[in-house]
Amino acid sequence: MLPLAELQHRVRQAVVAADDRAIAPLLVGGGDGRTRLGIHRRHYHTSLATAVIERFPATGWLAGSALVSDAAQAFVVAHPPSRPCLAEYGEEFPAFLAARVDAAGLPYLRAFADLEWQIGRLSLAVTAPALTLADLQSIEPSRLADLSLALQPDVAYVHAPWNLDELMRIYLSDRAPDRFVLRDEDVRLELRGARGGLQITRLERAVFVFREGVQRGQALADAAMAACEADSAFDAGGALSSLIADGLLTAARAPGKDGEA
Amino acid sequence: MAGIGLRLPHLMEIAATCPPVEWVEIHPENFLANPHATELLLEVSRRYPVSVHTVGISIGSAEEIDLEHVNRLRRLVDAVDPVLVSGHLAWSTHGGAYLNDLLPLPYTAEALRVATDHVRQVQDALGREYLIENPSTYVGFSTSTMGEAEFLSELAARTGCRILCDVSNVHLSGHNMGYDPYEFLDRLPPGAIGELHLGGFTPEDDDASPGAELLVDTHATPIAEPVWQLYAHALRRFGAVPTIVEWDNDLPPLATLLQEASRAGAVRDQALESHHAAAR
Ligand SMILES: [Fe+2]
Repeated sequence: MLPLAELQHRVRQAVVAADDRAIAPLLVGGGDGRTRLGIHRRHYHTSLATAVIERFPATGWLAGSALVSDAAQAFVVAHPPSRPCLAEYGEEFPAFLAARVDAAGLPYLRAFADLEWQIGRLSLAVTAPALTLADLQSIEPSRLADLSLALQPDVAYVHAPWNLDELMRIYLSDRAPDRFVLRDEDVRLELRGARGGLQITRLERAVFVFREGVQRGQALADAAMAACEADSAFDAGGALSSLIADGLLTAARAPGKDGEA
Repeated sequence: MAGIGLRLPHLMEIAATCPPVEWVEIHPENFLANPHATELLLEVSRRYPVSVHTVGISIGSAEEIDLEHVNRLRRLVDAVDPVLVSGHLAWSTHGGAYLNDLLPLPYTAEALRVATDHVRQVQDALGREYLIENPSTYVGFSTSTMGEAEFLSELAARTGCRILCDVSNVHLSGHNMGYDPYEFLDRLPPGAIGELHLGGFTPEDDDASPGAELLVDTHATPIAEPVWQLYAHALRRFGAVPTIVEWDNDLPPLATLLQEASRAGAVRDQALESHHAAAR
């Protein structure tokens, strides 16, 4: 008897890649088991392509729904989900979309779709209680430099080579201007989005480097050093205070076991 | 109890308005990567009994089940403290891919061994009893050596899991695969039935058999009349088993779902009353 693993491999081929030759002799049901199995194939393609399209509505608005829909159909064949939570499905779609021949004239498409992915991800987040200056005062000053900080789960830092934040705002406001100029311009964005409340803020280069480094887990001194390299006038103390004032800081950990705030 | 499947578009409304419904059922996969929805779910769980109905644990897969997913589920289950936790007699993962569907199993000794091991693993990991739902079936395999009712009954006997009997699936599968749904229900062990489901389906032309109709489990329509009749039979056989009305696609206003749930309550009261009257 055909082992279960082999049978499931053949069904997967039929469902994802529409190749039902190997499984057909084993199917029973109705006049032709292959058309019955086709219900599962249709469900796989429709449900996942719809999930991808619904995850990237702004990208569809920008690039045209036909382009995004065709790419989504191809994407679900090339990249089946690896996990059952569909909110996590589609992170590779921006790169997949941008690599398609019909997207070749849209060099900003990947960055825009990446921005949309981040916004969607953050909209599902919640915020944690923020630390205050008083919370940090329990940490010895000599250990501040080695401190690593945790930021709110609803924040992301995005560096784009075009003014894509302006384009996203136009999409979100649902008001198309007569004319929009996409400029070749480095924009460094802080996105916040807990419970669907989106804020997009442009940051100075040094502040972006500092906050993004902190979020990646860099020690405070390393993040500050990188920010100083970006701008020698960078004020590390002021930058730390503004992280606290913005309610972004949720935990501070010094190396060693007793240095947690 | 008669309740509704609670989907994300209705979550905020339920949390804000607390409508009269006896219990609700959620798909944890809608919450595990969505902390905002989880926050609302925890509010809901303080007001209603909640059932957690997984769609992502592939107990029928020949490969190992995704233990990371099970562990995430455990954390949600611990937070929500549901009255029931259930999944499906189906498979959905192969070769590291999640196929986003409840795919049919061959009913063989090997599949029974695999499903038994996986149900035991899930029950051990969750520290709770699990319920397994009968699938909606369009196609089977010539390698099957037993029927679905026999397979489910044996799985329940081996693992101590109970059965979630989806009455609509029984009707639909019986229609599609050519068996009598009443006889199917009569072959299930009454003491093992822990929950009932009712859901809508959509008739389609059966491409392979011109003139014939295939029923597709869309959860996008009201419950059909023959299913209400089959439900009454299930209640007379299994007793007052808690019931959930499922609606997942083309979601109507919450009020429509609540009406379907209250009809389920009325059918239950009537079926059990006439059953008891006949027994007296
Ligand atoms: Fe069901």
